Order: sequence, then structure tokens, then C-alpha cells
Amino acid sequence: MVFADLFFLYFFLPLCLVCYFATKKLKYRNWVLIVFSLVFYAWGEPLWVLLLLFSAMVNWLIGLLIGQNNESVGAKIALAVALVYNIGALGVFKYSEFIVENINALAGTAFKAPGVTLPIGISFYTFQILSYVIDVYWGKVPAQKSFYKFLMYISLFPQLVAGPIVRYADIAAEIDNRRTKLTDLSEGFSRLIVGVAKKVIVANNLNTIVLSMFGEASDGYLGLKTVSTVGTWYGLAVIALWYYFDFSGYSDIAIGLGRIFGFHFNENFNYPYISKSITEFWQRWHISLGSFFRDYLLYVPIFGKRRKYGGLFLVWFCTGLWHGASWNFILWGLYYGLFIVIEMKIGKKRMKKMPAVLAHLYTLAVICIGYGIFYFEDMKAIGRFFKSLAGFGGNGFIDAVTKTSITNNLFLLLAAVILSTPVIGKIKELGKKSVGACAVLSTAQIVCNAAMLIISSLLLLNNTNNPFLYFRF
Amino acid sequence: MLSEKEIYARLNEVFRDVFDDDGITVNAKTVADDIEDWDSMMHITLIGAVEDEFGVRFKMGEVSTMKNVGEMANIIASRAK
Repeated sequence: MVFADLFFLYFFLPLCLVCYFATKKLKYRNWVLIVFSLVFYAWGEPLWVLLLLFSAMVNWLIGLLIGQNNESVGAKIALAVALVYNIGALGVFKYSEFIVENINALAGTAFKAPGVTLPIGISFYTFQILSYVIDVYWGKVPAQKSFYKFLMYISLFPQLVAGPIVRYADIAAEIDNRRTKLTDLSEGFSRLIVGVAKKVIVANNLNTIVLSMFGEASDGYLGLKTVSTVGTWYGLAVIALWYYFDFSGYSDIAIGLGRIFGFHFNENFNYPYISKSITEFWQRWHISLGSFFRDYLLYVPIFGKRRKYGGLFLVWFCTGLWHGASWNFILWGLYYGLFIVIEMKIGKKRMKKMPAVLAHLYTLAVICIGYGIFYFEDMKAIGRFFKSLAGFGGNGFIDAVTKTSITNNLFLLLAAVILSTPVIGKIKELGKKSVGACAVLSTAQIVCNAAMLIISSLLLLNNTNNPFLYFRF
Repeated sequence: MLSEKEIYARLNEVFRDVFDDDGITVNAKTVADDIEDWDSMMHITLIGAVEDEFGVRFKMGEVSTMKNVGEMANIIASRAK
């Protein structure tokens, strides 16, 4: 099941909320969440829900073993088993086809790919499990003694299929002790509606523009054959907005749902496009993934004296690979690694001396070109894309499709640009300074929320373009 | 056994050297946010320099989870000869 869906919003979620708030004891509330989470997952993955349950059981047992004495040899072996099992499962289900394809290409063999389907959300919940097992090994958190509580953490539907990667250590206390206050409810629902609107009203329509400009993998990126130079840059900018609104919209929904159930998840996006360097961008974009790799991979002690660059290479290779089993994603990850190294060599102090306008332009250009590498999954298309980007695509400076697209979508694009900056937050802060303005803003927020929910629902009812981007994660 | 005073004096030198800033003075409560350039990449350089200075090795979990200079100094005190 996905969030941007009428069945979820108007049946599943209300039913879950009724059951959750009808029970008073936290133990039963946790059980309500487990049952609904498993149904939520099984809805789309009736078979792979068993894998989820099995993984939860295996890792819960391993956590207990490590937790008994995390300094012992047994704990080291248990950790190794956990790493092999979890990374192995990810390898089999997500990367086996990719691995076989590459072996065949390199060795000229003709092994058949096993043809397993990717269990949705496996990248997210595997990373959550890894963070738990490693934190227990490092003595950062005690092992969770109760299986059902651990299962609830792993299966919790708000963050199950599209993140954020919520760490066990961050919500361990709330599993045992949480209350939904009135502010949690109001802010949680507001956040949920904002997330749905970002996804349904903004992201889905931006996606339609992207499709009209570039086409997609299934049609061989048809649009790329006719798009002009300005069209390519314009399309990239729209991709940047689309990914942001889609992904951060999903994170908003997850964080909002969490709040409603009394959980406080960390923020996953912090206006990434206002960054003045690529280093800063990755501190603002998909924060839970960046911090995961920083804490659990960057300092891996296998490179000796070269650990800085070894760690960096590993982090950016894996960041790319995590996004999908394809070379373009790996290339995309390493592309970012390269800019991180360049910025490191320049130094923070000198980076800061760069004029603000130039710093923003440089950062946005790197991000947008990166999205091209991310979007076009085959190397031929990436080649065509770069040609077109540099003005050698053979389709002129500007084409009619681009002109019409910009004119027809001007309002949507302007709104998306403004909403991807902290303008609304700033207005809210200013409003807090006077009682009158505060009242006006609260009323405006209620009206806006109602409008966003109605418009989103109508769009969903109309069954317009509504893709789920995270099937490959 | 190194005295606490000596550990902090030598740490100070390492920090000033790594971050190229003679104005730095660290104490047990110093955290990454207190030093402008102390990000995850500089952390690796810093850890390497501290390891060389004291002849100790930090475990990956320690590198990743140490919250302040105090924790770093405690590990050095427990491990340095």
C-alpha cells in the first residue's frame, strides 16, 4: 500500500486511528500498530511480508545475543552473522540480477539471472535493522528484550516503504512510553496533509512535465531525441523540483503519521536547494541516509592510512548503489563523491568566500546535472543527455515544446520554487510575534489544509499520473 | 599513565595543527559544533592525528559515537602507555 492513495487515506488510516485510540494501554496500541503495519505491507507484498517477519526474528535474536556481552567473541561473531545476513538478503533480492548481468558481460558467460522480485522497502528496513544491531554492539543502546516491540519498530508503517531511516536508538524510549498530545495530533495531521499535497498536487504534475520533456525508460527516453538545449536544462530543473516534492512529501507524511502515534522522527529534508555547497546539500537532502552512511560506513577501518579517501569512495559508491541496481546510480553517487573531495580540497573557509549567487548557481548546477545521471538509466541516453545539455544535441537552442511547457506551467513552477525555500516557515515565525497575525495565520493554515486535502483527494479520485518512485529502493 | 593535564595539552596541539587555528583550546565539553571546520571528513583526519600523537587506536564504534573531547580523552587515558 502507498500513502498517496484514497484507500489508505480514507479507509486504512481512519480505521487504524479508531483502533489505536480506542485502546488505552500502550501495549495494545503497539499491537494495533503491528497488525496494521503488517496488513499495510502484505497489501502489496503478500509473500515478502514473511521475509520481513523472518528478518525481524533473526535480528532480534542476534540483538539479544550481542546485548548479553557486547565485548565477547560471541558478540563479534553474532555481529558478523547479522551483517552477512542483512547485506546478503539485500544482495540477493535487490542486486542479484545486476551482479549476474555484470559477470556475464565481463566473463562472456550466460548465467541466468534468478529473477527475484524486489521486496518493497527492503533497503529502508534493512538499514534500520543494521543501525539497531550495530548500535547494540557498540553499546549505544541496550538490546530490545521483547520481540513484539522490535517487530513494531521494524514494521512501523509510517516509515516502512519510503523512509526516513528511523534509528532504533532515536525512538527506543517512545516505544515504551509515549503519549499523543493535542498538539501532536494537530501538527501531525497538518504535516500529513502537507505531505500528501506535495506529492499529489505538486510532484505528480511536475512528473508529467518531466515525461513530456524527456520521456521515460520504457519509451527509450523519446523526448530526449527532440529536446533543445534550453529544454534540457529546463527539464533538469523540473526533475530537481519533482524529486524534492515527491520524496520530501513522503517524508512529511511519515513524520506526520509518526507524530499522530506519538513518535518524533528526525527530519529527513531541510530545504536542500538553498545550499551553497554540495557538502551542505547532503546535510540537507535525505538526511537519514547521509547520516547512516556517515556513522556506519565512513569510519570503517579497512583502508589503513588511506582511510579518508577509502571511506569516502565506499560511502559514495554505496550511496549510489543504494538508489538502484544500475551503473547510472553508482556513477551518480561517485559524481557526488568527486565534488565532496573537490570542496574538501578547496577548504570550508575558501568555499565560504565564494559570492553567494555564484555558490548557489554552482551547487544547483551540480545537483541538476546529477539528476540527469540519475534519471537516464542507460549509458547511451546519458551520452545524449550530456550532448544536449552542452548544446550539441542538434535540436537547436529552444524548441516549441519547451516554450509551451514553461508558459502552461508557470504558476506551478513558481509555486514549487517558492515552496522549496523556507519562505512559509519565515512568514509563520514573523506571525508569531503578534497575537493578531498569529490568529490570521492559524486560520489561514486551517483553510489551506482543508483546500489541500480536497484538491489532493479530487486529483487522486481523477486517477491522474501518480507514480511510486521507491519500488527500486 | 598520562595525566589528564598532559592529555589535554597534547590534544590542544593536535587540534590546533589539524584545524590550522591557534585560537583553539579544547576541554572535556568541546563538541564538533564548537569548531567550525570539524565535520565528518575532518573527523577522520583528526582521529588519525590523535592516534599518531598518543600511539593508540580507536575502535570504529568509538570514532563514530564519541560525543565530545572528554570521551576522546578518556579513551586515550585508558589506552595510552
